[in-house]
Amino acid sequence: MNKSRWHLKPLAAAFAFAGLIGMSLSQQAVASIDTGDDSLELSGFIENATYFRDSVGLTKFRNTLQLEGTKILGSLGAFDEFSINGTFRATYDGVYDLNSNEFGDDAGGSILLESLVDFGAGNLVPNGGGIPLGTITPAGLVNDGLIVLGEHLHDADGGVTFAVPVRPCDKDSRGCLGGYMDDDLDDLRYSDFNDRWDFIRELYINATIDMDSGTTFNLQIGKKQEVWGRTDLFRVLDILNPVDYSRQNIYDELEDIRIPLWMATAEWQFGANDILDDMNVQFVWIFDKFRPNKLGQSGTPYQILDAGSLFRGLSNCWDNGCTVSNFAGGNVTTNFGPGVLGIRDVHLPDWSLDNGQFGVKFEGVYSDIGFSLNAFYTRSQLPSLRGAGGPGGFATDNPFTGGGLAGLPPEDAFGPEPQIFPYIIAFDIHFPRVVLVGGSLDYYADPLKTAFRAEVAWTKGEEFANTLKPRLFSESEVVRWVIGADHNFFIRGINKNKAFLASFQTFGQHILDHDRENGPLGEVGIPDRENNYISTLLLKGWWFQDRVSPQIIQAYDWGANAYVISPSVDWLISDSWRLQVAANLKFGDGARKFSDCRACNPFSPFTATPLHDNAVQLPSPPFPDPTFAADAGDIGLGGFEPLGRFQSGPIGMAQKEDEIQVTLRYRF
Amino acid sequence: MKKFTKGLLGAALLSFAASASAVTDADIDNSFKPYTKGFPTVEGVVAGLVINKSNVDTYASVLDDGMIKHIKDGWVELTVGEPMDFVLNQGYIDATKAGAKNHKLGAKVGELEGYTAGRPFPIEPSLDDPRAGEKMAWNFQYGYNWGDGAAISPFYWKYKNMNTGKIERTIKFNFYFLNFAHRVNDAPLPEFEKNPGKLFRAIYLNVAEPFDVKNTQLLIHRSQNDLKRDNAWLYLGFQRRVRRLATGQVTDSFLGSDLMIEDFEGYNGRISDMNWTYKGTRTMLLPMYDSSKQERTSEFNESDGYTYTTYHGKGGCFPNVTYSLRKVYVVESDPVDPNHPIGKRVHFMDAQTFTLPRTVTYDRQGKYWKSWMIGQAHPDSHHPVNKGTGVSVDDAFGMMDVQSLHCTTGQFKGLVDPSLVKKKQFSVQYMRSFGK
Repeated sequence: MNKSRWHLKPLAAAFAFAGLIGMSLSQQAVASIDTGDDSLELSGFIENATYFRDSVGLTKFRNTLQLEGTKILGSLGAFDEFSINGTFRATYDGVYDLNSNEFGDDAGGSILLESLVDFGAGNLVPNGGGIPLGTITPAGLVNDGLIVLGEHLHDADGGVTFAVPVRPCDKDSRGCLGGYMDDDLDDLRYSDFNDRWDFIRELYINATIDMDSGTTFNLQIGKKQEVWGRTDLFRVLDILNPVDYSRQNIYDELEDIRIPLWMATAEWQFGANDILDDMNVQFVWIFDKFRPNKLGQSGTPYQILDAGSLFRGLSNCWDNGCTVSNFAGGNVTTNFGPGVLGIRDVHLPDWSLDNGQFGVKFEGVYSDIGFSLNAFYTRSQLPSLRGAGGPGGFATDNPFTGGGLAGLPPEDAFGPEPQIFPYIIAFDIHFPRVVLVGGSLDYYADPLKTAFRAEVAWTKGEEFANTLKPRLFSESEVVRWVIGADHNFFIRGINKNKAFLASFQTFGQHILDHDRENGPLGEVGIPDRENNYISTLLLKGWWFQDRVSPQIIQAYDWGANAYVISPSVDWLISDSWRLQVAANLKFGDGARKFSDCRACNPFSPFTATPLHDNAVQLPSPPFPDPTFAADAGDIGLGGFEPLGRFQSGPIGMAQKEDEIQVTLRYRF
Repeated sequence: MKKFTKGLLGAALLSFAASASAVTDADIDNSFKPYTKGFPTVEGVVAGLVINKSNVDTYASVLDDGMIKHIKDGWVELTVGEPMDFVLNQGYIDATKAGAKNHKLGAKVGELEGYTAGRPFPIEPSLDDPRAGEKMAWNFQYGYNWGDGAAISPFYWKYKNMNTGKIERTIKFNFYFLNFAHRVNDAPLPEFEKNPGKLFRAIYLNVAEPFDVKNTQLLIHRSQNDLKRDNAWLYLGFQRRVRRLATGQVTDSFLGSDLMIEDFEGYNGRISDMNWTYKGTRTMLLPMYDSSKQERTSEFNESDGYTYTTYHGKGGCFPNVTYSLRKVYVVESDPVDPNHPIGKRVHFMDAQTFTLPRTVTYDRQGKYWKSWMIGQAHPDSHHPVNKGTGVSVDDAFGMMDVQSLHCTTGQFKGLVDPSLVKKKQFSVQYMRSFGK
């Protein structure tokens, strides 16, 4: 699709339209547009969100126009009620123009990479300046528009790092992953205008049949969000739509970051029966082409787990080769040619009926308990990096022997080139099939004056990084749960009329087939913890007829020792104007370390050590003394990158992203 | 021995008070038609009289202390209108005649035995009856308020600064009421066949405007068992989730207004949440009127030409309606829960309809806190759909926080039309599907 068609004219028209609306409205509170048609409801808002980050400057200057509409067509054909609902959003984020040195065409620069061993170039070597274990392409040698992976959060500290291109993909195509992380400048600035038509937040028909039996049948078809579950913030059951973490990591309202999908929902609302006060059954068929979560791209302000940078750096490594700090021998910065390390490809499922997603929900109220039972046949919305090194993998080059991928002779004494090497740090990205079964409930406990909410889900098919496996991943069943409690309490001294809300939640994740052990140099296996918990606490008050509402939301990742606190004040200036001022501050350990598999010995004997299993010293000559042959496998040499991010979690990985945030909205 | 005698006497009184009374048809006729021999009269209080600060002392006997203060402070002037007979729906009266002899209070406050439908205690209350207030409260609770089901659609609330009259917020609601049991007029009678939760009544509302609270929905299920806590759910549009509402929130400022959920309709809670005391019968002016003779406004441009009540007085907080002389039962309610935000309410119950056109609220320190008026329009003078329904139509409210000098006004388009109220609207799932 010709993207330029979307990017300028529609936005100019949209904001001009917004301006016209703004001018045409009186200052008297106007709650929606008077269409003169009782069956047509239109409303919307214009918003500016401006965020500043410590040491970085502007991170967001997002301007939004959103329009919502419903056309009620009444009784139509077999349907008693029929309506068309739409929500349209246009955003322009000026950060890529106003702070282009950090995010945009001028981002990044030349980099230096740490080398613990000075091999003649000092302890900081430029991109391309490592000891040669391959030939980096000319594009890969361009030392501009780069950052060092993780540099905003940590030093290399003896670990591996490499170059990450950070400019938009139309400016610098290095490391861009086609169809997954390949946004050009306009894609970033106008994120709603893409080839999936995300400016349509929702557009669906809603049709209802009231049956003689008292059952109501509801059918919705179109592009929409469908929300399951009862808890806030955590997505245990609320997973029908993927989410866009590139808007503000994990901190935006889910309403704004769910990625709408084309789907059909059919629901039978049976109402009360002899046992249940309410009962309904819903079927969901998502026929849209699969969409994963949007994790954020390198060179953009918000990336969950800094994944966009990691992936782009790895992709660049595969495509162009790269310089990796402290790699050879665990301490020498090393140049690798293309086709050895990195991310080779992304396998996004094609559209087909077989690739559809299906869900079913049974929901009801029994006595005083609201409950649901849910099942969803879907795909992992998070990427799985399946390593090359095993059955089902793919061939890579051996940089010690030359290889076909690097344009060198295809064979030598160590076998054909390329070939499959176990534990090689080379990946394809997949989105595996996942089955979820779960449920939720809520209950009000009068003696405690507290409402409780809970969700639980079991999944099968999810995949995790695992350095104990030749392909560096393994599948595991996972149980996730959230329990939440809402309690209202008065502090009469400061607010006579309005209770404060305290909302506490704890999220837990248990990886059933967790795999971790101690290697000679450190822990190896799955970096995610077998059991991990995150707790949140929201304290919220309201004054002046709910027009001023301060709140403090806090979250603590128990395993990562990562804490975030976000105080904010929401001021409803009038029915039309709203100002929100917030801060987002993180504390804790920040970056954490885990095995990085640089010592996984994929190329024995060149990478073998006496610490690897079945190590045998090879005769000298012909081999240099000492040279070992040994089994491939991880011995636990590690650092911050790349797997430490799973130890740090999303809060810890954003440790250095403290922000002040101001949002002004005008509703019409 | 003295203690024992007292105990016996108390038990005997309690037993007497709780027992089914010998209600006659004459009692019932008197309860529903107290004005067959003429409306109450008070010297000088005639239609057209304007009560203001210059003459309020003359007419203090027909006003409550709070209203007297408002008038003396120059906040409002009251105009007296013609009295009207608000005879409730015949089905409700018939149900009362069929069942009243069987009604009696249980041992605990909140227990009512033998009740099917109609007015539970169609008798004159007695100051000698220690549970008379509770009986009056039951008459309100199981009153014909909004009939078996009705809608207020739309329902405009305005938040106002009393000092300046500035309208801070305007919220457009839609309210729906449905009786699941004790129904008297619209089939099925007297109760829905499938009612496993043994609900008595449900209230559902949604917010249409403004945008920040659009799609907010509230659902309240009240059980037939008054000792059972209401279930309440809130749907927040921006979250697209139904949240179980904690009870604390029903005594909380609702969406920033000067009302708590418990204030709806004058009192929206369990009988057992309060101690009820009957304080006597008075002849008083209440905002009950012929709506066709009031000053109305077409500010909301209803396509059917319906007009809304106007407001006047300080801050534009007082419904601009006429007041008429009514027989009134004065009942006080004070919360059982020591943490409840209010100290007590004084309800001025209209004896004919058992609506609550006037309630005065005191805080926990005993200071005057809220002034609460719900204008009652005669159904035959109101929207065409309400004619002949025998429902005293809530038409306008003004809730004033006299301490913070802030008020919330409510302009109703109340429609007693069963076709507007569907049982499915009162389910949790409906909130999800309505909210998208």
